[in-house]
Amino acid sequence: MPHWMTISILLFVMTLLLSLSLSPPAAYAGQASTGELLFYPCTSCHPVTLGSDGKPSRPLPNGFEGHRIVLTSHDRLGKGDAACLVCHDDASKNPGKLKLIDGTLIDIKDGDISAVCYRCHSAKYQEWKDGTHGRHQPKCTAAGCHDPHTPSWIYVAPLRPFTGSGFQARAVSKRVAFSPLASPPSPPPVETPWWLRFLDTIGVLTVVGIAGVLILGRQQR
Amino acid sequence: MTVTDVSAPRPGVKRFIGVDFDFGALKNASPRYWAFVSLLGVLLMLGGTAWANALAHGGVVMAMRDNYPWGLWFTNYMYYVGLAAGGLVVYASVHLFGAEQFRPLARIAVLQAGVLVMMALLGIVTDMERPWRAVWMLLTPNPTSPFIYTGSAANLYMIICFVDLWILITGKGGEKLAHRMTLIALPLAIYLHTTTAFVLSMNKSREMWHSAVMVPIFLTSATASGVALLLISAYILRRLGVVELTASMFRSLSTLLATVMIIDLFLLLVEILSVFWPTSAMPGHTVRLALFFNSPYAWAFIPVLVLGIGAFSLLAPRGTRHLPAIQITASSMYVVAVFLKRYSLMAMGFAINPLGQYTPPYLPSAVEIFLALGILALGLLIMTVASKVLPLRMPAHDPHEGHSHGVAEPAAEPALASGVVAP
Repeated sequence: MPHWMTISILLFVMTLLLSLSLSPPAAYAGQASTGELLFYPCTSCHPVTLGSDGKPSRPLPNGFEGHRIVLTSHDRLGKGDAACLVCHDDASKNPGKLKLIDGTLIDIKDGDISAVCYRCHSAKYQEWKDGTHGRHQPKCTAAGCHDPHTPSWIYVAPLRPFTGSGFQARAVSKRVAFSPLASPPSPPPVETPWWLRFLDTIGVLTVVGIAGVLILGRQQR
Repeated sequence: MTVTDVSAPRPGVKRFIGVDFDFGALKNASPRYWAFVSLLGVLLMLGGTAWANALAHGGVVMAMRDNYPWGLWFTNYMYYVGLAAGGLVVYASVHLFGAEQFRPLARIAVLQAGVLVMMALLGIVTDMERPWRAVWMLLTPNPTSPFIYTGSAANLYMIICFVDLWILITGKGGEKLAHRMTLIALPLAIYLHTTTAFVLSMNKSREMWHSAVMVPIFLTSATASGVALLLISAYILRRLGVVELTASMFRSLSTLLATVMIIDLFLLLVEILSVFWPTSAMPGHTVRLALFFNSPYAWAFIPVLVLGIGAFSLLAPRGTRHLPAIQITASSMYVVAVFLKRYSLMAMGFAINPLGQYTPPYLPSAVEIFLALGILALGLLIMTVASKVLPLRMPAHDPHEGHSHGVAEPAAEPALASGVVAP
């Protein structure tokens, strides 16, 4: 094989590899942020015993103070801890398990989490099964699309320069009609110096004069 | 006979880089010629004063504000770059498609293209406000910005146009080199207009510009307005006795113009239709394009449709297409229409900002207008002087020289004496 051909093939392969390594991850709504559960395995902390002051009697690792999860749409499930226990099993008994309506426990990481969603969202679940909603996604939550605590928040793929971290975006639930906002504050006025206006006026008059002479001269000719 | 064969130069003819500059013709020029030159000189002086004022006082003398970061000067950049296209298309068709009837226009076309790109670049240089910092754009370019590509392409294009003119005048390299230059210049012209359109269409946040059809619209508008301007300047130069052109050449040019016009109008209508189609309309895009019709900007956009469709309907009937009055009227209408299109496209893109806030229309300030007029006067001045000084008349083409061309329409018709047919 001649040298130039070897070099060309090498260059081509290197360019291909470089372009593949530089190409950003395919961005589509619904990809999980990282697919990792932050506090897994649950048994590293639970069961947690609370002291008389309502705080954990044994300090939690890394100064962690307990889950502070704000429910903005799933708050209708109950008040306080009751809302948690609708889906989660009692943390003192089975940390890391979610429960179905018949009491079946499923693992928070490896189990079929979508079955928990099915308890209330059966229609959406069926659409997902049929492939018309969240197509190609393995689960509804965690490694899927929705934040399980506030399902109207979806995970989107990490994009540069946030490669590797991932972030959440708020999904617009309804299509909102466009309506212009109030105008911004009026911009500062244009300033033209008086001498420039004077000069421009004289210049324009001169130009009009010459043009007039040219046009009239043409008619007389 | 070629111009380079002149062995005994006339008085006042100075030979420089192989080109005979006929300065003697300036001495014999009529008072009317000098009156016109002085008119342009006054405009040039006003433009210079305006630029000095802009450099001294900065943005406060311009109407460009936060919501309108680009104004008349950038509009002019896109407009002049577009006008430059027509010349190249006509010139290239001689070499690429054997359209021999356009050969007499070659030098005018290339000169006009070069001067127009120079005017376009001057518009950008003045728009920079601190032009001496332009060097940083060259030293530290940002490859994701379309400006890098359009700016460099415009510079290259201008250089190529002037080199091309030199080759056409001196005849160096013969037909072969002229053909090769076309092969470089035409793709570069397309590249230049594509990247100019990218400046607008690559803005995701400006919904009105974010359309792929922007690129072909730019190309067709550029070609149509450029050919129209070339037709007008060809008539003027023939009237002044600079070149000899046949009526059949003008008829071919008008046919070309009408063809490009209808493609341009078609693309515009397709864009309007796809934006407003009820089941596919995007609210952000629709509300912005609707301003074309129901806001103070309508005065700039409705004439685009009226003049454009009017110009096409003037040129469309075969029976009247050969009439100079029809050709000149239609061309002028389209040149104006494309300027208004560029202006409304530019200003309208900013009318509702990405936050959805509406701002009153942009109207250029006195400094902006006079500087733009100054640049226009400079371009006209170069063309006016070149019409006397440069040998713009193409020598009679020897068909045996160089490689053969497919002769599309032989110019058998005798050239009409200058000043007889022009209205």
